[in-house]
Amino acid sequence: MTPTPAAGPVQRSAHRAEALAARLPALLVAAQRVAATVAQGVHGRRRPGAGDAFWQFRPFLQGDPTTRIDWRQSAKADRAFVREREWATAQSVYLWRDASASMRWSSALVAEEKRARAELLLLALAALLLRGGERVRLLGAEMPALSGQAGLEHLAEALLAEPDGGSGLPPDAVVIRHSRVVLIGDFLAPLEEIAASIGRLAAVPASGHVLQVLDPAEIDLPYHGRVRFLGLEAEAETLVPRVEHVRAEYDRRLAAQIRGLGEVCTGAGFSASLHRTADSPETALLSLYMALAA
Amino acid sequence: MIFAAPAVLLALAALPLLWWLLRVTPPAPRRQIFPAIRLLAGLDPVEQEAARTPWWLLALRMLAAALVIIGLARPVFDARPALPGSGPMLLVIDDGWASAASWPRVLAAGDAALDRLARTGRPAALLGTARTDDGMAPSPSAVMPPAELRARLAVLRPKPWPVDRAAAAAALRAWKAGPGRVATGTGAAVYLGDGIDAPGAAEFAAALGAIGAVTEVRPDGADLGAERLLLAPREAGGALVAVVARVPVAGFSPPARVLAQSSDGRSLAEAVIEFPPGAASAAAPLALPPELRNELGQLVLAGTASAGAHWLLDERWRRRPVGLLAGDAIGAGTPLLGELYYLRRALNPYAELREGSLETLLARPLAVLVLADRVIPDGGEAERLERWVEQGGTLIRFAGPRLAEHPDGLLPVGLLAGDRALGGALSWSKPAHLAPFPAGSPFAGLAVPEEVSVTRQVLAEPRPDLARHAWAGLTDGTPLVTAATRGAGRIVLFHVSANADWSNLALSGLFVDMLRRLVALSAGIAAESESGPQPPALTLDGFGALGPPPVAALPLAGEAFAHTEVSPRHPPGLYGPEASRRALNLGAALGPLAASAPIAGAAEEPLGAAAPERALGPWLIAAALALFILDLLVSLGLRGVLRRGAVAAALALLLVLPPAPPGPHAAERYPSLAIHLAYVVTGDDGVDQISRAGLLGLSDYVNQRTAAVLAEPVAVAPGRDDLSLYPLLYWPILADAPLPPADALAALNDYMAHGGIILIDTRGGAGGSGEDFNPGVDAVLAGLGKALSVPPLAPLTTEHVLARAFYLLRDFPGRYVGAPVWVQRQQDRANDSVSPVIIGANDWASAWAVDAEGHNPYAVIPGGAHQRLLAYRFGVNLVMYALTGNYKGDQVHVPAILERLGQ
Repeated sequence: MTPTPAAGPVQRSAHRAEALAARLPALLVAAQRVAATVAQGVHGRRRPGAGDAFWQFRPFLQGDPTTRIDWRQSAKADRAFVREREWATAQSVYLWRDASASMRWSSALVAEEKRARAELLLLALAALLLRGGERVRLLGAEMPALSGQAGLEHLAEALLAEPDGGSGLPPDAVVIRHSRVVLIGDFLAPLEEIAASIGRLAAVPASGHVLQVLDPAEIDLPYHGRVRFLGLEAEAETLVPRVEHVRAEYDRRLAAQIRGLGEVCTGAGFSASLHRTADSPETALLSLYMALAA
Repeated sequence: MIFAAPAVLLALAALPLLWWLLRVTPPAPRRQIFPAIRLLAGLDPVEQEAARTPWWLLALRMLAAALVIIGLARPVFDARPALPGSGPMLLVIDDGWASAASWPRVLAAGDAALDRLARTGRPAALLGTARTDDGMAPSPSAVMPPAELRARLAVLRPKPWPVDRAAAAAALRAWKAGPGRVATGTGAAVYLGDGIDAPGAAEFAAALGAIGAVTEVRPDGADLGAERLLLAPREAGGALVAVVARVPVAGFSPPARVLAQSSDGRSLAEAVIEFPPGAASAAAPLALPPELRNELGQLVLAGTASAGAHWLLDERWRRRPVGLLAGDAIGAGTPLLGELYYLRRALNPYAELREGSLETLLARPLAVLVLADRVIPDGGEAERLERWVEQGGTLIRFAGPRLAEHPDGLLPVGLLAGDRALGGALSWSKPAHLAPFPAGSPFAGLAVPEEVSVTRQVLAEPRPDLARHAWAGLTDGTPLVTAATRGAGRIVLFHVSANADWSNLALSGLFVDMLRRLVALSAGIAAESESGPQPPALTLDGFGALGPPPVAALPLAGEAFAHTEVSPRHPPGLYGPEASRRALNLGAALGPLAASAPIAGAAEEPLGAAAPERALGPWLIAAALALFILDLLVSLGLRGVLRRGAVAAALALLLVLPPAPPGPHAAERYPSLAIHLAYVVTGDDGVDQISRAGLLGLSDYVNQRTAAVLAEPVAVAPGRDDLSLYPLLYWPILADAPLPPADALAALNDYMAHGGIILIDTRGGAGGSGEDFNPGVDAVLAGLGKALSVPPLAPLTTEHVLARAFYLLRDFPGRYVGAPVWVQRQQDRANDSVSPVIIGANDWASAWAVDAEGHNPYAVIPGGAHQRLLAYRFGVNLVMYALTGNYKGDQVHVPAILERLGQ
């Protein structure tokens, strides 16, 4: 699917995500034994209801709308029949990506900002889910669950319309029970705050996956000499006389952060993975796919 | 090298302090945005080493600082010692005509003096020694700082008159006695002289010396030798001799080139005048054909811009009226028979002719008098005539039956009575022919035509000195033309009649040439002098340019021109009404030039010998600025603000790139984008220019008149360029053109075979008004005809499509008319009956040609706007024929079609 020349930014990002998602089969989130509160989807419930697959013909009863009469079947007999379809349910997946200022950054080593990569992965994942008939919604956004092919563009629109900001942690939003949550961000905030935030989600209960997106410069600290570091979220400046001398300590701190995030997630029933923006997005998408399909 | 402000150099001692200060200040850190800054916070570095500015950056900054300090100390290269004396300085400049020749260097020397003065902070004043434009005596300017005086110096201009030393001396004395000058005691003056002696020089030198310390800047050898003055030209042997005066200098000086120019500035002749060492003046004749002599407007010393380098010539240098008088006044003008008929025809184009009785003729100034077989009896008339000859008149006499019977006294040689008949029924002898002219004769060099013969003549008395008087003779040795000088004038006798009775000399072109040489030999006459005051019309400025007269110029009485000195009241130039201009020249009243004596007690300096002072300060400070910019770039680079690529790009932008050479013309690169007419390059620049101008003019005409849109014409070389893109090739043939090379011929044959049309123009071949304009071209054309595959040809008639393609044409003129135009025979059906070649001799390109102003630079022959119009119309037909082929051929059949329709 190639973008048409007249496509706006929404269509472009949607198309890009589609192109990325085109390499994977449709994603059916591993079905959970969930209550009937789950909206209809493609998970067959072995009973009549709203769905696409044929289930049975039954005689027309008083009160059925006449438009539901299957005339081809009715013509074979004296009675009128109604076609019933199997009741299928859909799984709702909540998606979230970090929109804080620290995501709007890329080092000289890569061309793409962390936020752009996070949104690409989010949309690609959404494309896979929508293709599988699942319903997706943005965590914390005031919008209904989206489904079908048109849902992807609505999602991209909502992503682009959302202003920068936020604390870098998932918002404290209402989540339907037993739904899946996918969180994408850099997760450089203090571990206690991250644990609190994910713990709230786990208490609903909800489970899912945390994808940490980091710039290679954040992992390797490739600077030399006397450097004055400035933050993006109003942090205090830090003057480092010789960067070479603090690199080992930085590596240690970063490793502790990544390890701590993994522990927090495991404790809350989430899975976690790390993605460097220098790597190709396919690998990250594949890890997301595996984590959700499991 | 000196420093104008050496105290500033003390600041160099502060440089080590600067070094230390720069060294202890660490370089600014680079700034880096980093999201994971929380992880960096509070990291304790292992070692706290003071960051150091690199040593080379330190050295760069120190160098820049040192350059600024040295620059502020104002170093000056090639500085001259400060001027002596104290108090205000007086800058005295000779701004007469003589300084104009080296005026830029005079100004430079004045500037240099002000430079030296400015270093000491003394004020100065300026005094020009020539009278000002409004005739005021020289007076010094106000005393002002050198910077302000510089502006006054820059607008000072040399005057076209000499300096006034006496008035300048008075001004110097007034300056010396001026308020505030007596008290200061020693004054100072710098004198930029012209080095030429003038009246009052001693008085001037004394007044100048009294001022105080004087520095005299004198023009030396070359500059003094360049102050040249044109004196009145002399008449010698019919030629104008230019005389140039100068200050006698020893040693070699370059020769002077004197140009004889017309009034509108065209150079007509040139004479090179060599100066022997030590000579005060030199002269050389200007070789000038007589008909050009009448156009003479002025003599100019080439390469010298001064009023003295111009000698304006007025009417009396040009006029040579010729009087004609015949023995038989009644039949003199009879066509073909009369005695004056041939004289009038020969002289009319070159001289002003007058006729009348002898009294009437002599009543007005006359240069030449021609008497055709007129006997002057002794008496009052003969005496008047003799007096006129002795005063410089040239009397030309022709023999005839009357003169043969009664020889009179006004003859160069004695004549035998009667005439001598050669040939005829009763004679054994044959008509005699002319011998070549003797070397001393004014006719020497003229070709002697074979056909001129003499049947009768008068014979000179045989005398030993007869050969000396003979200017022309017959093959048997008898003289044909004799001459003798009388006083300032001359008597010339033709021993034959002025008509064709005695000889057919009068019928030949030689007759015209001989008379022209004789008239040129004669002395010019002074115009009738107007005695009333003549207002100035155009005057020379100091640099010798003619312009409107200054307001102070006054009219000059006619008789005063000879002895009036040039002055602001009477600047050199032309006076009087347009018809009878009188010239007042600078050289007329100035005597020989002599070098002036140097001022006693003055320090002498040569003019413009030493190199000018050069202030280094601005350059040093500019260099320091450049270093600071470099330092800024380096510092920014160290902080990581600049990328290497950006710096390189900025530096590349700073370099001034040379403009790219203009590429080939768009039309020549993409000739298929539009329709172009094309011409074959002949290799002769003149012809190619005409071809281009012609096709340009034709393209414009076609664009105006028709729906065709033609772009600029294109020059093509067959064999090199692709001809298939052009519908029509114009090919002018040169008489000396070699046969084109084989590949060119092949390309042309291919072009013709595939529908191209070549217009071959011999530009003046046989059969038209342009016959013999391009001799020998027919042979070239014949050779081409053999080499090209030209189809059988027929003359172009009005029945041909070419005569009807746009306009209905009866004939096909170009610059010439009448020569037949050849096209392919009508019967040939090849190529759709379109003739691949059109051959003519009418030089169409010249007729079509337009120059940059839109004029037609080449006259059509025989002429007329109609001929040019028809030439353009033929061109339009040609283009239409080339573009549409035989499409318009149907028009040929219109009468037949109408007939068939029953009309």
